[in-house]
Amino acid sequence: MKNYLATLVLFVFFQAFSQENNTKISLSFENSSIENVIKIIEEESNFHFYYVEEWLGVDLVSGSYTNVTVDVLLNVLFEGTLLNFYISNDNKIILTQNNSIYDTLPDGFFNESLSPPTSTEIPEKEIVNAPVFFNEANTSDRKSIETIRIGKENKNDIRKQFTLIGNIKNALTGEPVPSLALLVKGKKIGAVTDADGFFKLELPSGINLIETNSLGFETIQKRVVIYNDGRLDFGLNEAVEGLMEVVIKANVDRNVKEVNTGTIQINVKEIKNIPLVLGERDIFKVAATLPGISTAGEGAAGFNVRGGKTDQNLVLLDDGVIYNPAHFFGIFSAINPFTSNEVTIYKGNIPAKFGGRLSSVFDIKTKDANIEKFSGEASIGPVTSNIALELPVIEGKAGILVGGRSTYSDWILRSLDEEELNKSKANFYDVVLKYNHKLNDNNSLKATGYYSRDAFSITSDSLYKYSNRMVSLKWNHDFNLKNSGSLGITNSQYKFNIDFDRQTNTDFDLGYSINESELKLNLKYKPNDRHTFNYGLSSKLYNVEPGKVEPKNSESIIEALSIPDERGLESAVFVSDVFKINDKLTLDAGIRYSIFAALGASAQRIYQEGLPKSEGTLIETQQFGSNEVIETYSSPEVRVSARFFMTPSFSVKGSFNTNYQYIHALSNNTTVSPTDTWKLSGINIKPQHSNQYSLGFHKNFSDNTFEASIEGYYKKTEDILDYKVGAQLLLNETIEREVLQGDGRALGVEFLLKKTKGRLNGWLGYTYSKSEVRLDGSFAEERVNNGEFFPSNYDKPHDFSLVGNYKLTRRYSISANFVYQTGRPVTVPVGNFILNNSEFVLYSDRNSFRIPDYYRLDISVNIEGNHKIKKFAHSFWNISIYNVLGKNNPYSVFFVTENGQVKAYQSSIFSIPVPTISYNFRF
Amino acid sequence: MGIRKTYSLLILGSSLVLINGCVKEIDLNTENFESALVIDAVITNELKTQEIALSRTYKFEESEPNPEIDAKVEVIEGNTAYQFEELEPGKYVSVIEFSAISNKEYTLHITTSNGRSYISTPTFLTQETEMDNLYAIRETNDDGINGMSMYVDTFDPTGSSKFYRFEYTEMYKIVAPRWVPLDAVVTGDLFPDCNVELVPKTEEKRVCYGLVESNKIIQTSTDGLQEDRLSRFLIRFVDSESYWSTYRYGIVVKQFVRSNEAYNYFEILNSFNVSQSLFSQSQAGFFKGNMVSEVNPEEKVIGFFEVSFVSSKRLFFDYEDFYPNETPPLFPSGCIELFPALLIVSPDHVGRCGSLITGIKLNSIVFYDHNNSYMRPYLMLPRACGDCTALGSNVVPEFWID
Repeated sequence: MKNYLATLVLFVFFQAFSQENNTKISLSFENSSIENVIKIIEEESNFHFYYVEEWLGVDLVSGSYTNVTVDVLLNVLFEGTLLNFYISNDNKIILTQNNSIYDTLPDGFFNESLSPPTSTEIPEKEIVNAPVFFNEANTSDRKSIETIRIGKENKNDIRKQFTLIGNIKNALTGEPVPSLALLVKGKKIGAVTDADGFFKLELPSGINLIETNSLGFETIQKRVVIYNDGRLDFGLNEAVEGLMEVVIKANVDRNVKEVNTGTIQINVKEIKNIPLVLGERDIFKVAATLPGISTAGEGAAGFNVRGGKTDQNLVLLDDGVIYNPAHFFGIFSAINPFTSNEVTIYKGNIPAKFGGRLSSVFDIKTKDANIEKFSGEASIGPVTSNIALELPVIEGKAGILVGGRSTYSDWILRSLDEEELNKSKANFYDVVLKYNHKLNDNNSLKATGYYSRDAFSITSDSLYKYSNRMVSLKWNHDFNLKNSGSLGITNSQYKFNIDFDRQTNTDFDLGYSINESELKLNLKYKPNDRHTFNYGLSSKLYNVEPGKVEPKNSESIIEALSIPDERGLESAVFVSDVFKINDKLTLDAGIRYSIFAALGASAQRIYQEGLPKSEGTLIETQQFGSNEVIETYSSPEVRVSARFFMTPSFSVKGSFNTNYQYIHALSNNTTVSPTDTWKLSGINIKPQHSNQYSLGFHKNFSDNTFEASIEGYYKKTEDILDYKVGAQLLLNETIEREVLQGDGRALGVEFLLKKTKGRLNGWLGYTYSKSEVRLDGSFAEERVNNGEFFPSNYDKPHDFSLVGNYKLTRRYSISANFVYQTGRPVTVPVGNFILNNSEFVLYSDRNSFRIPDYYRLDISVNIEGNHKIKKFAHSFWNISIYNVLGKNNPYSVFFVTENGQVKAYQSSIFSIPVPTISYNFRF
Repeated sequence: MGIRKTYSLLILGSSLVLINGCVKEIDLNTENFESALVIDAVITNELKTQEIALSRTYKFEESEPNPEIDAKVEVIEGNTAYQFEELEPGKYVSVIEFSAISNKEYTLHITTSNGRSYISTPTFLTQETEMDNLYAIRETNDDGINGMSMYVDTFDPTGSSKFYRFEYTEMYKIVAPRWVPLDAVVTGDLFPDCNVELVPKTEEKRVCYGLVESNKIIQTSTDGLQEDRLSRFLIRFVDSESYWSTYRYGIVVKQFVRSNEAYNYFEILNSFNVSQSLFSQSQAGFFKGNMVSEVNPEEKVIGFFEVSFVSSKRLFFDYEDFYPNETPPLFPSGCIELFPALLIVSPDHVGRCGSLITGIKLNSIVFYDHNNSYMRPYLMLPRACGDCTALGSNVVPEFWID
């Protein structure tokens, strides 16, 4: 901990962080193989070597050294061989053949304004002898360079430059290699492959020596003799070790480079070291430790992003909406971490291709199945078990990913002696199935299916069930180098059911469901390096069955009731351009035009204008036929974000963003509950909309070891839904009489400091924010707190998270996370009174008090299995303790009148330290 | 600790956490106390001195509301102002008898002693719908308990009443089962002068009556039903094990036809008093009735001025009517025979008066018979066995019918 603090201090004062690799070594050897010498060095020091045995050859070496640094020693040792070496900050020595690894890129590497080549013919000799960067690059064997001739020479062609395009793939997996640098030696010409592995080079005619450069892949050179425009595709082998690190390295400065404000990326693989609750790795829990994202309470479902309501987040799993991505009230996430690849959270500028929610987009992508070999991952925990399998279907082309997770809590409950508990029920499961098929170089197909289900009963006479179902199908197509696109169709359903069975005449069965289907065309056009256009259209059809209640048996006196179905069509066209104005300034400007139509068949109540909606102000009920348009709302939504590089590692970003939302969650609970229902906009309920302004500063330090950012935002929302006190929302046909539409405003400053590398890594996040709501109107019943702004249910001014992970040895690592938050606002009783002979409580103004502050510390230890290469499975144990301090954090405070007396209760979810052990393995 | 044990503890811990969470009672503090005027005002169609009660909210540790005294209260209808006078602290009654009449507009005006004035929104008498029927049925209820259910039937053919509230007053006869005409009184309680004498009872202690008023809001709505009809609406259930029905039981039920707004107001109040689930809470808060401060419209004023059509019915039955040939339920405590000592002398000759003296002085035991012992002269019983005032009042209730 001391060490960590010291590091922070260093960081804060912007001091360079230097790693010691000048350890002095003394050793002597005679007629040893190079490999033996390396092993001796490994024993004598804390260096680790990474290499391929064959490279070292069979030559024997002798020597004696005292107090030399390892680089001096290695320079001598490898003299006369083809070996180069690279010493990393964490004492890894990576040997390469022929080429050096560069840990810095030369000035102007990403500089697009390279001066155009002036000479058309450059002698080969010159090329060979002119290293492009880094003089350390030394003797390399060049004789294996392949010569390729491109194009047919046209004597009439007076052009001195030709365009070479091409695609680079991973030779092993066939996947495109993005962000690979291609350099034409000696000519200051370079290109970087795009996300799909495409590159484009303007080459002077004649001989060009092209070198690939990427830390994840072998470095190769190709001698290209170009006579005309042409195409060159080739495959690259992965570098020998540490693909994971390469992946991270490739994105090291993503946070600085990203043009959109408020964008967070979570790599699911990286979260395994974060302490777990009941053995579950959880993407959302990790998200909640990042600034700007919070939950209403421990174990509460739903997220509040930048002071927004929980219904303002669009959670997408492979482009399909998941309405309630939580199991068991939010204690577990319903997204399987084993099948998830990456989550991108947009909380600032939401790209124009997304829409329909005000606060954020959680864009979760499942993994593509391994198309080369069968592999899998599993974990066994005290409450749940989880397995994911990847099966190649057509080698190199298609694969299936299957993931499943389930609890065995029912079994535990049944085995308990306590009668009250063993009648209880609490189980959930979720399954994911994904098929990915690469049809050819230009076409691929992805299909995902998802289902999650929860069933629980807290009292013995009622059973709650809810489920999410999602299917998505996506076809990706590359038209040509400049144009690509995808066509996707998704369908999502969320439903819940309450089964009330007391063996009496009040038994009932209550159900709700929402179903949406979307068709989305998303196209990309990249005319040149300065523009990337993204455009398309989408259309979404909603079908809501707001609820029905049915008597459970013939004796039941419950009257069957069904609230009429709702239907709506939400469509949008969008276009955006990532415009690289110059080296420093990039603009991501987008516009989305959304249109929502509420459709019949339906009976719509028309109320007197300007009066509270009630039975008394009802003028008439209008009937609409099937699919007849009841009401339409439409609006342009502006999404503009810009990034400016002050220095290569320091950027300033700003954005302005408007959003419209046509669907609203109805909940008169302060936290998300599975019985919350969704309601479409219509004649009586307007869409909600927001404007957000953000400004952020992002800076990376010490070779991207540290990432720091500070981002501020101001958000104004209008027509957000709230409710009159004591509103009845479930099974209410005249819901418009219970709701209020008001304004919200939120502002905040988010600070994030991340250490991405080294034995100690983790992050520290702090947010200061304010989120307020105003419910005002001309009539008393429309006003809350006299029409003044008051703190929202999720207003938590101070939110601090520290996540740290320390690697003790290769096998043992320890992590901890600490969370502190201001207690959330509550409405409390401020007195008693008697009316009609019955005692009641008087409540304060809404949210004028707060529950005590929240803090929690979790610790976990990861023990990795040993790293035998040929071992069947890689495994690790995770032991974690949730809430080590045993802090009894209040989840809610509520008041009950018992025998005429008002009593206050505080509930908490995990009031004691909760230990968990889980076993995970991968094969 | 063995692995097995750890494992099972873990599972137990996890599942308890999952199912129960942790709920504990916390102290309500009164730092946040807010004082607000509470108006309990229902004017009815009955010709009588109408009553309005004014009080203020009270702190949680207090047991009684504080009456709002010295207020000026009047109900205005057209050009008529019905004045109210304070009969007892906080209880205001109209100076003259009057009844609310349909299609007339009534407003309530209150000026408190600190000069603040409050006014209600204009209110009309609700639909004139009489209660059709009040009846009792012996049955086993949903909780599996056998007893008497008191039901109401009401029907409004015009379909405009819709919202009903009920109040009831229950009364029951109590007969002291082992009543004797003599009472034991203490005439000396200082050792060694410990004396008890028997005197004839001077007041009625054999037959008494219990009187209990409803203490929760009973209201219902026929909104959404095909007809404005209440049938078999349960007002009250009396367990057959209860001594209330041992002899004779009676109930007077008042039916108020309520306005939609008043119904909603109390429906919301009621909803806050229902125990809430661990994981979800209703949005509580203050909400206005139809009374508003004329000085500061944002002042919290509690209560709803109602002009209600009221009708009432009463019902009486004897135990034998519904429980023929069954043994009536016992008294709450049973009648244990006691032989308490008059005085007690310990081995070191220090003495004191015994529990006979203290029991009589505390009014917890009554005389039943003589006992042939100097130290323990009487057979005594728990008070209720010989003195019915232990459980009720010896005054016959106003509505009682034998």
